[in-house]
Amino acid sequence: MASTTPPTRTANAQLTRRSFLESVSTGWFIFTAACIAGLSATARFFFPNDLFEPPTRFKIGLPENYAPNSVDENWKAKYRIWVVRDGEKIVILNATCTHLGCTPNWLLTEGKFKCPCHGSGFYRDGINFEGPAPRPLERFKLSLAADGQIEVDKSRKYQKELGQWNDPDSFLKIS
Amino acid sequence: MEFAEKIKHFLDWLLGPVTFFLFSVIGFGAMIAFRGWWTRTPVALSLFGLSVVVFLLSMTDAQFRVIIEKPDNIPIVIMLCSIGFLLWLAFRKMAINDGLIEQGLPTIEARESKKRVMCWPDLIYSEFLIAILVTIALLWWAIEIKAPLEEPANPAVTPNPSKAPWYFLGLQEMLVYYDPWLAGVVFPTLIIGGLQAIPYIDMNTKGNGYFTFKERPFAITVYLFGFIVLWVLLIMLGTFLRGPNWSFFGFFEYWDIHKLTSLNNVNLSEYFWNTWLGMPLPENIFLRELPGFAVVIFYFAALPPILANTVFKRFFIECGFIRYNVMANLFLFMAALPIKMALRWLFNLKYIVGIPEWFFNI
Amino acid sequence: MALFKNLTETQIWKSIFRHKYPDNTRDQALAVLSNVFLHLHPIKVRKSGVRMSFTWCMGGVTFFLFLVETITGILLMFYFRPVVEYAFNDMKDLREVTPMGIMRELHRWGAHLMVITVWLHMLRVFLTGSYKPPREFNWNVGVILLVLTLLLSFTGYLLPWDQLAIWAVTVGTNMARATPLLGHEGPGAALLTLGDIPIITAGSDVRFGLLGGTVVGPATLMRFYVLHCVFIPMIAGVLMAVHFWRVRKDGGISGPL
Ligand code: HEM
Ligand code: FES
Repeated sequence: MASTTPPTRTANAQLTRRSFLESVSTGWFIFTAACIAGLSATARFFFPNDLFEPPTRFKIGLPENYAPNSVDENWKAKYRIWVVRDGEKIVILNATCTHLGCTPNWLLTEGKFKCPCHGSGFYRDGINFEGPAPRPLERFKLSLAADGQIEVDKSRKYQKELGQWNDPDSFLKIS
Repeated sequence: MEFAEKIKHFLDWLLGPVTFFLFSVIGFGAMIAFRGWWTRTPVALSLFGLSVVVFLLSMTDAQFRVIIEKPDNIPIVIMLCSIGFLLWLAFRKMAINDGLIEQGLPTIEARESKKRVMCWPDLIYSEFLIAILVTIALLWWAIEIKAPLEEPANPAVTPNPSKAPWYFLGLQEMLVYYDPWLAGVVFPTLIIGGLQAIPYIDMNTKGNGYFTFKERPFAITVYLFGFIVLWVLLIMLGTFLRGPNWSFFGFFEYWDIHKLTSLNNVNLSEYFWNTWLGMPLPENIFLRELPGFAVVIFYFAALPPILANTVFKRFFIECGFIRYNVMANLFLFMAALPIKMALRWLFNLKYIVGIPEWFFNI
Repeated sequence: MALFKNLTETQIWKSIFRHKYPDNTRDQALAVLSNVFLHLHPIKVRKSGVRMSFTWCMGGVTFFLFLVETITGILLMFYFRPVVEYAFNDMKDLREVTPMGIMRELHRWGAHLMVITVWLHMLRVFLTGSYKPPREFNWNVGVILLVLTLLLSFTGYLLPWDQLAIWAVTVGTNMARATPLLGHEGPGAALLTLGDIPIITAGSDVRFGLLGGTVVGPATLMRFYVLHCVFIPMIAGVLMAVHFWRVRKDGGISGPL
């Protein structure tokens, strides 16, 4: 009686210490993975697919409407852009301060854009020269549409510090 | 009247951003150093009377009144008054307790801490009374002053100046000196994390449950410097002294949109390569920013061990390696704000490391 | 007096209050113990801990103001519609048309006051060294409550949908653009790409997730409304329960050992 070892449950069910630990850790692994997947799915919920924001492509009239060496503010309220003509060249500036996104004002007498939030200043070509803004204003893509109007595409932007201002789509030459 | 104008002009001239900050720091030092003197009732009362007189005189100035009476600025006045009063109360108790401890006597709190009183009525009555008083004050405030409502929202027109809610104006002031990723993200995170770390890095077991200064001078000085100078006074600066275009205006100065200020700031790389070495900026970004990286690495990697061997020697021994390094780094981050402010004012320094290509500016 | 006596003898009264008038120690203890709201308190407290000059009662005032904000906030919800077309006008009506036209004022000034009292509460906790062991954890709960209080104020600031509101929130949330790695104008974000396609853009960064758009717009108003009225107050409420519980479990209001 004493010599026969009683059949242990472990031996019966083939449940070794090793396989027990394995199934427990697999279980926990699956549980953790499921929690992470659930949380990421919930996080994804906060990134909508459909936006109700204004169109990014629009026309702003004929190039001749813009006087040489001028900053045009007529589209600022609607599309948040300035049309800047420098002699023969027209560029579209994004009227959003590169510091924290306030809308700067064009100060005609001082010939600069000045941001009301923390005082950044930009020259007419968009280059920053004072205040906390770390980089120049961005420019948007523009082209001549078939009807001779300027068409702006706000989905493409050009940043000077990345060398993108030489891109032929970032300005319009008037011959 | 002539004379009053002269004084106002003098004060406007006296209180630029630099001097405002400088006087704040000096005043803060004096508050700590002379705590035994200014908390004495006659002195405190005279100081209180003096500030009331100055405040009332200032209220005769139209410009000052316009800003003070903005509905959203009234809480700031309330905050300043209550902080003034409570600091007096705290420092007074500190001074008294420190004296008692020196003589080996129990502190004010210790005398009563063994004794227990019934919650009803001792605590509940006072809570009830205070709830009533707060309600009355709030009702009166709500009836007297209308909540502001400006023009409807318009994304194309930014009001000038455009300010964050008053309790965040300290952060907004930081944005003048550091880029958003630091001032808006990293620093706030560190402020929160640093506050949470306080109980775990303060190894001083004294001063638990009673007012004392002498038993924990470093902790109290650093905390009060952060709260009073770097938070409350920056809120004041941002509210009362920042006007259109975020230019600096004196307390009594008219907010002129066309006030000209030169804000041409220079990067460390430009100082180093152009001014000191007289050569053009190198093309390679890393080479260009090498001096800046050197400064930053020295500040965060070399200063903690240096401090551990000098001024912070005692802390290092008390706290151990990890605690000490957490503490030293938090301390250095806190010091980074006034340091950069000073560098901006003295040398127009814009960035220590400036790589706008990667949005990496320090 | 006789009337009062009769009243307190009725079955209704006795079913509500299980103790006599609290003018003796036993009934005073019962008054606190048998009341679900009052039993937040212990029966007895340190004499030094009930001194107003010690606690400044700032934690208590903060909690009271939180209650005031909850009540006035729920009342405002009866009129306010968090939709761009209505929000501003509803605010104007709350001032000009709605009866008892100070509800918005109570809510706004109460919120400002709460920010102040939280700071002062924290100041006194620090100056009395009350964050030291065994109260480290409760200080941490407090720091989170501080952040939540500020977030409550900030999300509420957008709701009037006036110039003050959208610009404060524009500037405030634009900082999220600069979050390292996770904001499209943050350092390191350019490193996260799939081949040539950047992962972090204006339409996919943390700020976008917060605002529900690339600018502060209709989706943002809705989001901040839900955060302000439901999400943050709920979390703050739970944490306050933990906070008060821990004040008691950590040995009551601090005092010299
Ligand atoms: C919504 C915000 C908060 C509420 C409603 C609240 C409420 C309270 C109340 C009622 C007390 C009892 C003692 C007193 O009134 O002083 C207390 C104690 C305490 N609070 Fe808070 N508090 C809040 C935020 C904070 C913050 C921001 C901190 C610190 C970072 C903090 C840390 C503590 C600590 C450590 C104690 C224990 C103090 C002691 O035992 O002396 N609390 N709190
Ligand atoms: S947003 Fe323009 S300067 Fe800060």
